Amino acid sequence: MSGRWWKLAARNLGRHRRRTVLTGSIVVIGFIATTMTAGFVSQTFTGLRDVTVKGLGGEIRLVDPRAAGKTDDEAAAFLLESWEAVARGAAKDPAVVQAMPRLSFFGLVVKGDRSAGYLGTGTDPAMEQRASSLVEAVGEGKFLADPEADEVMLGTGLSKAIGAKAGDLVTVMTTTPDGALNAVDAPVAAILRYPIKELDDRLLYMPYRPASRLLKAEGKASSVVLLLKPGADAAEVAGRIAESLKRDGRPVVARTWLETATFYRQVKLLYVSIFFFMGLILATVVILATANTMTMSVFERTREIGTLLAIGMERGAVRALFLREGMLMALGGSVLGAILSLLLRAALNASGIELPPPPGGTHGAPLHVDFIPLAYLAGFVMMTSTLLLASWWPARRAARLDPVEAIAHV
Amino acid sequence: MTEPLLSAERLTRVYRLGEEAVVGVQEATFSVEAGEFAVLAGPSGSGKTTLLNLLGLLDTPDSGRLLFEGRDASSLDETSRARLRREKLGFVFQAHQLIPVLSAEENVAFALWLRELPEQQCRSRARQALRDVGLEGLESRRPGALSGGQRQRVAVARALVGEPALILADEPTASLDSATSERLLDLFVELHRSRRVAFLFSSHDPRIIGRARRRIDLIDGRIVSDVTVSPAGTIPTAAPPSGSGREGTPS
Ligand SMILES: Nc1ncnc2c1ncn2[C@@H]1O[C@H](COP(=O)(O)OP(=O)(O)O)[C@@H](O)[C@H]1O
Ligand SMILES: [Mg+2]
Repeated sequence: MSGRWWKLAARNLGRHRRRTVLTGSIVVIGFIATTMTAGFVSQTFTGLRDVTVKGLGGEIRLVDPRAAGKTDDEAAAFLLESWEAVARGAAKDPAVVQAMPRLSFFGLVVKGDRSAGYLGTGTDPAMEQRASSLVEAVGEGKFLADPEADEVMLGTGLSKAIGAKAGDLVTVMTTTPDGALNAVDAPVAAILRYPIKELDDRLLYMPYRPASRLLKAEGKASSVVLLLKPGADAAEVAGRIAESLKRDGRPVVARTWLETATFYRQVKLLYVSIFFFMGLILATVVILATANTMTMSVFERTREIGTLLAIGMERGAVRALFLREGMLMALGGSVLGAILSLLLRAALNASGIELPPPPGGTHGAPLHVDFIPLAYLAGFVMMTSTLLLASWWPARRAARLDPVEAIAHV
Repeated sequence: MTEPLLSAERLTRVYRLGEEAVVGVQEATFSVEAGEFAVLAGPSGSGKTTLLNLLGLLDTPDSGRLLFEGRDASSLDETSRARLRREKLGFVFQAHQLIPVLSAEENVAFALWLRELPEQQCRSRARQALRDVGLEGLESRRPGALSGGQRQRVAVARALVGEPALILADEPTASLDSATSERLLDLFVELHRSRRVAFLFSSHDPRIIGRARRRIDLIDGRIVSDVTVSPAGTIPTAAPPSGSGREGTPS
């Protein structure tokens, strides 16, 4: 029964075709902006998440409870007693792909008469290759291979500081947790090009075994890093594993990548704020443009509205007439916006445009705008509510006209 | 004796423009019986529109009473007034009263849409009403493609289609040339006879005024005379009577 009122609303929109097209295109653009931004932001988050997880070597980090919440310097003294027992316990969880030991240490690296301070990591070469992006940073030489070999990889900055090249022999000196001095001679397997300058100047990698011997901490580790199956809920798995290790009598603190990734969270917050702010501006523009058009339309149709009120149309029905016009505009704009969004997305994704690397990443990725059905729904809801809001005042104005004055209006 | 359709008792409407008070209608007392054919005559500014707005429940008097079928209209709320207007009254205005994006048929059907009748019924009754006003064949034209006289006929059809007791028409011929005006009056007379619907229209054109059976004269907002010119049942007709509803071409 309301079909005729929708038809009338549609025809009224057709009255000033150019004006409707202009206002409508603002709605369409608003819709496209919503879906495209959401798709792009989503891709960025996915990329940033990958970079973050790869930077950590996995989604979950298990540390000794005494080390939790301490700085790396302070935590150095609190090692997991048996990383293998922790790893075995954690690996029982079906979501865990691998459990990798990491041992942090620091000291001086020396070549000839030049030396420099380093931040060292002992790690399992095979697991490191699988879980992290470190292998992509190898600029010169080869990634660590033999888990038993006394070998190091140095950041470019660090290698320059002591004048070392791949193949050169360097001496790695450190202080053990007990306070004793120790050193080992190791050939440089590779020079790393690490994207963060401050770290590139200090980084040193060594296989876990020789590193633990150097520290006189065999079997111990600063952390065990867990790589999870794709799609696993890191927080849930972390809780599960902490619980089960506690039962085994090996209490650990399990931190997910998200908990440690302050940077990721800040970027996300920033993006969400930008997105929200943009949406607000967009909604304001759409509201102003449509409210203006609608007000003009009410003004031009004053006499007609007066006649309709005179012949007995209810005020509520007059208001509904204008609200319907707003709704139709939102609906039409959203449908057209959705079609154009999908086309634009297909075109952009096929274009092969390369994006600059995300913060902390080494490689740019081809532009890919995700398809997020929720964003399309959000676009529709946003446009509908925006247009309802925009047509509210003009519709109310129309409904409140005095028929006598309106009919006399010229 | 049946009670009058409308009865005005000392109706007064004063417009206030700041300090100044302009009399629209003063102490108008008269009544309209079912099936009447009456004209409100008077020069411009004499209060015709003001009085018709009061009688049509579009405006409220400052003092006096208006009884609609014996009920005091001032006791009615806005919704009941709107319902009375759509069910008991028909309105024809001077000009520019159709919805330009609707066809002639849809414009007439609109009056029934307001009563939420089924579409089929709205359409067939609208077509019948258009036939009654002599616009058969022009149902699908939009107002912009009709002449001034044809547009007024569509408005008459819209006023008529709901089978009201009374049609109020404020200077319905004011925007028409004299020949077209005469033919519109012929239509009024014919509809009045065939449908027994009461007409109350206003005019300042002597030739149009002369067509009414009863003539109420207004000057400066006061009713100065109210006479039934011709005997009951007879209404003067224009000579020669026109049988065609097709007047003029779209401008
Ligand atoms: N809205 C208004 N505001 C002020 N004065 C008005 C208004 N409408 C009508 N009038 C005045 O009321 C008187 C009667 O007007 P009106 O009813 O329009 O007469 P008519 O229809 O016979 O020309 C005139 O003096 C007119 O100026
Ligand atoms: Mg007037």
